[in-house]
Amino acid sequence: MAEDLILELKGITKIFPGVKALNKVHFQLRRGEVHALMGENGAGKSTFIKVITGVHAAEEGQMFLEGQEVHFKGPRDAQEAGIAAVYQHPTSYPTLSVTENIFMGHEDVKSGMIQWRNMNAEAQKLLDSLDADFKPTDEVGALTIAQQQMVEIAKALSTNAKIIILDEPTAALTANESEKLYEIVERLRDEGKSIIFISHRFEDMYRLATRVTVFRDSQYIGTYDVDGISNADLIKAMVGREITDMYPKEDIELGDEIFRVEGMTRTGYFKDVSFDVKAGEIIGLTGLVGAGRTETIESICGITRPDSGKVFLEGKELTIKEPVDAMKAGIILLPEDRQKQGLILSWGLGRNVTLPIQGELANNGFNDEKKERELAKQRLEEVDTKAVTIFQPASSLSGGNQQKVVVAKALAQSNMKVVIMDEPTKGIDVGAKKEIYEIMGQLAKKGYGIIMISSEMPEIIGMSDRIFVMCNGKVSGCLQRSEVTQERILELSMEKSDSKKGGAA
Amino acid sequence: MKKKSIGQFLSESREASLVIVLAVLLIVVGIINPSFLSFTNIRQIFLNNTLTFIMALGMLCVMLTAGIDISITSTLAFAGMSIGLLQKYNVLHNTFLLFVIGALIGVVCGFLNGIIIAKGHVAPIICTMGFMYIWRGMAYVISNNNWASGMDVAGFSDFGKDGAPGPYIILILAYIIFFIVMKWTRFGRRIYAVGSNTEAAQVSGINVDRTLTSVYTIMGFLAGLAGVLSVSIYASAQPNMQYGKEMDVIAACVIGGVSMSGGRGSVAGTFLGALIIGIISKALPMVNIPNFWQNLIKGVIILAVVVLNVVTQRTMDRQNLLRREM
Amino acid sequence: MAGKSGREISAVPEGGIKSKLLSWEGALVLILIGVNILGVAISPNYNVNNVLREMPRYLAEIFMMFGMGYILVLGDIDISVGALVCLAGTVTVLSSNAGAPFIVAVIICLGVGLLGGMLNGFIATRFTELPTMIVTLGTQIIFRGIAEVLFETWGNGGGTASMADTKGLMLLAKKLGPFPIAFFCVIIVGVIMIVVLAKTTFGRKLYAIGSNKTAAYYAGIKVERIRFICYSLLGFLSGLCALFLLTATFGSNTTTGQGFEMEVIAMCVFGGIATTGGKGNLTGAFIAAFIIVCLRIALGQRNINTQVILVIIGLMLIISVLVPSISSAITARKKRA
Repeated sequence: MAEDLILELKGITKIFPGVKALNKVHFQLRRGEVHALMGENGAGKSTFIKVITGVHAAEEGQMFLEGQEVHFKGPRDAQEAGIAAVYQHPTSYPTLSVTENIFMGHEDVKSGMIQWRNMNAEAQKLLDSLDADFKPTDEVGALTIAQQQMVEIAKALSTNAKIIILDEPTAALTANESEKLYEIVERLRDEGKSIIFISHRFEDMYRLATRVTVFRDSQYIGTYDVDGISNADLIKAMVGREITDMYPKEDIELGDEIFRVEGMTRTGYFKDVSFDVKAGEIIGLTGLVGAGRTETIESICGITRPDSGKVFLEGKELTIKEPVDAMKAGIILLPEDRQKQGLILSWGLGRNVTLPIQGELANNGFNDEKKERELAKQRLEEVDTKAVTIFQPASSLSGGNQQKVVVAKALAQSNMKVVIMDEPTKGIDVGAKKEIYEIMGQLAKKGYGIIMISSEMPEIIGMSDRIFVMCNGKVSGCLQRSEVTQERILELSMEKSDSKKGGAA
Repeated sequence: MKKKSIGQFLSESREASLVIVLAVLLIVVGIINPSFLSFTNIRQIFLNNTLTFIMALGMLCVMLTAGIDISITSTLAFAGMSIGLLQKYNVLHNTFLLFVIGALIGVVCGFLNGIIIAKGHVAPIICTMGFMYIWRGMAYVISNNNWASGMDVAGFSDFGKDGAPGPYIILILAYIIFFIVMKWTRFGRRIYAVGSNTEAAQVSGINVDRTLTSVYTIMGFLAGLAGVLSVSIYASAQPNMQYGKEMDVIAACVIGGVSMSGGRGSVAGTFLGALIIGIISKALPMVNIPNFWQNLIKGVIILAVVVLNVVTQRTMDRQNLLRREM
Repeated sequence: MAGKSGREISAVPEGGIKSKLLSWEGALVLILIGVNILGVAISPNYNVNNVLREMPRYLAEIFMMFGMGYILVLGDIDISVGALVCLAGTVTVLSSNAGAPFIVAVIICLGVGLLGGMLNGFIATRFTELPTMIVTLGTQIIFRGIAEVLFETWGNGGGTASMADTKGLMLLAKKLGPFPIAFFCVIIVGVIMIVVLAKTTFGRKLYAIGSNKTAAYYAGIKVERIRFICYSLLGFLSGLCALFLLTATFGSNTTTGQGFEMEVIAMCVFGGIATTGGKGNLTGAFIAAFIIVCLRIALGQRNINTQVILVIIGLMLIISVLVPSISSAITARKKRA
């Protein structure tokens, strides 16, 4: 077999204190192909990438670059060998210029002096080749995430990388931006670059990759031709079991209106947003990233102050000035970023669960630790958290279980009436996703009003009774469960191209 | 591209707005007391603030990495006191060697700061606060309650006496070197990179610990140099020399637009900031405000400038939002 | 709704007396005993009576240490407190000399401290973009600057002022039994501050904010209000410190309170409070404070210069902030071996 392999890894094992992050995994990358790397969170993809890019050194195994065995001592070696990585959250220098970001580490230096003029010209060329709409002298911090990723790609190109690794590049992008990224990736492929593409989105894989390699539980499962494997088989390879009935949505008799928002406006973020929720209903709030969904619900929950707008709970108008006002009324938010907003990672699970209600459990301001422990244990068991004790730090859990702790924290608030879940399944593996959906279904059955924000089309369609679509800060439409299709949602998510020129600044 | 309004230009170019502030300041003080604008007076502003000017360059580097160093005047005193005593006890009178020794003492002090902050992951304010008292105390300890007086440092003080070119040459050289290093060399840009995004710098192969250590070492070097200069200019060395002057240096940087959160700031801005601080110190007595108001006014200026920075940033963000169409 | 896997999660707290004895607080108690043995060894005058007699001047700083502990747990820092002690003391002396009765002077002293703390709190919570280090650096210069102006404009100049009528202060300097009043006050304030931090919802909120400010805010904690309260509290305790300092010095000058901020931060850090926020408790800091006080008294009796003592405390500060990274480096090396 004389395949033209540009990169081959054999029997790679990486051990972190107490954990085998990679267990004898293999990987082959052909010259000029786009190769998807898939697997649940914690399957070892990121560690694997870090081995390729020289960030981690593997304990066992060999790595061949164009047939030659290589040993990288650090990121620098990998860079010089022609391997570049673009991460989901661009690792840029926000206060520095685009040019400087592109050339950081390999500046054009003549007799000790940096040649700014040459570098700017070179950067302009790279940006032109990517069809970028910004200048080399712009400050990177002022660019959008998609633009910043383009800077990262330009950086990869500037090092003449032969292998480009894209680590979940579309996770933070809108559909339009993703499309543009696809085009760039295709062009890079046509120019002979070899590309490793990590993603959770199946559409990314179908659109770009010719082959896909799957990891599970730190092990190599297999490499498949994208054309030759069905969706179900791929999921089975990833999770090790078949997932049937992913969306356990039951039809529930809906109650009266429980929650209503009227004319919410915050300049620059969203405008005149109105919607309502009935008891037992799951409302999907979707739209492209940047449409103002998170900003809207954060204003509803008192995280930020809206300029105007009214919030009604069970027919009564609420005055919400701070998060605590919303929580006291029974509107509970599960924030988007569980590691930064939802949990105190260094704290034990129990204290995390009881943090919002420690005041209610306390006697005259003194914490009632015993009551707290019991309640935390109960709630954590209810959501089936995979944990040993309530004292282990939240940082020791996987993403899915961390999300369950956040749910337990919401459930501990006994006055809960409305639950707002912002991207509740983002970045968690398929198994945990299903469990979160089941919890949502049970909450709906109990008559809570549920609002779910999500960018993932299948879960929005699978779980919601009604779907409100936002576009550029406004609600562009509401779809009933019976009439919803992916196309309808997309249509409402996109700005009509003829209505406005130039668009948002 | 759209043309920018004057307001936008000023808020984006810190240096331009500083020049305007400087001009207004000069005109106002000049009207109240015309002798302020005399050549001798202007020259003295530079001489009196040589130490601030020089140390501000080091503080620029430190603040670019999102750090701070409040131990600098203690380092200055320790280095200054050391070379003062070397002369007092007739160990050494060679001006050049004294400069080398003073600067080396500064380098050692700065290196200790740097290594503890970089390798020990100690907050810069805590580490330098500790050394602020340690070096100042050491200056007292080695002095054993003695001064080095004008007589002790007689030959040496010729270098920095009023009218001698020495301090100006050092000042000009320092600014030229830093201007080039910070803009056109890899080393300079690495300081910016580390302050702008430490993690990214690490990933792209920049040795963050080494950069941090060298930044504090440079600061220490300049503080040591300033210690020697101080002995030369004021023709004496005592353990409490330049006490509290680190605030002038920090104020100069803050006014000059160096960001407290790192990654933003320029040599030109630092120069203008130090100049404004120097002019204010010199101008206060000349417009009949007694000297004991100095610290209060400087403190208010520091706070006002940092608060103003926040307010401007907020207004700019707000305007950007208003411009978003919906 | 019940967990479908039926998995049990333990809720039994670990540890007991053994782990408490092995903790840092246990080590601090040993160090305290060691320092006292050292005191007896190096100074013939180091005995209970003398220590208690000399204690009040040093006890004053401990009041402030408790407030600083709260601020550090929040993940903030306040380096203006030394200057605030100077300002509060100066205003008290000058107003007393201008004829204010003692009780009014006391209220003024505490009031100036409180106002200074509120100013810090106001700026720190209104302009959250600013690091508190720079805010309090600014107010540090302002507080001392105001004191400098007051000495010249209101007092007799020369950067110093002493209290003419010391009757009230003498009263505060009295002893109850063998112990000075200040000692009792420190114990009372200390116990309250320790218990509030360790046992109440308010204390838990401080740890939440210090560990993750954003998550604390999302969990409904009024972050900025609590920060404001803590700064004000520290300011008030600085006023208290200024008052008890006066019972030992009977006057104020431009250098009053110099180094206090470093000393109280050193006490906290030495006592196990992390400067990064969210970690440590005041019990350790309380013991650490007494270690430093005893050390100062012992060294003071040997006529060792204040500056040398500051060098020692500075070294203690730097060594104790280095302890976590050194110990983690050692464990990392052990693992590798």
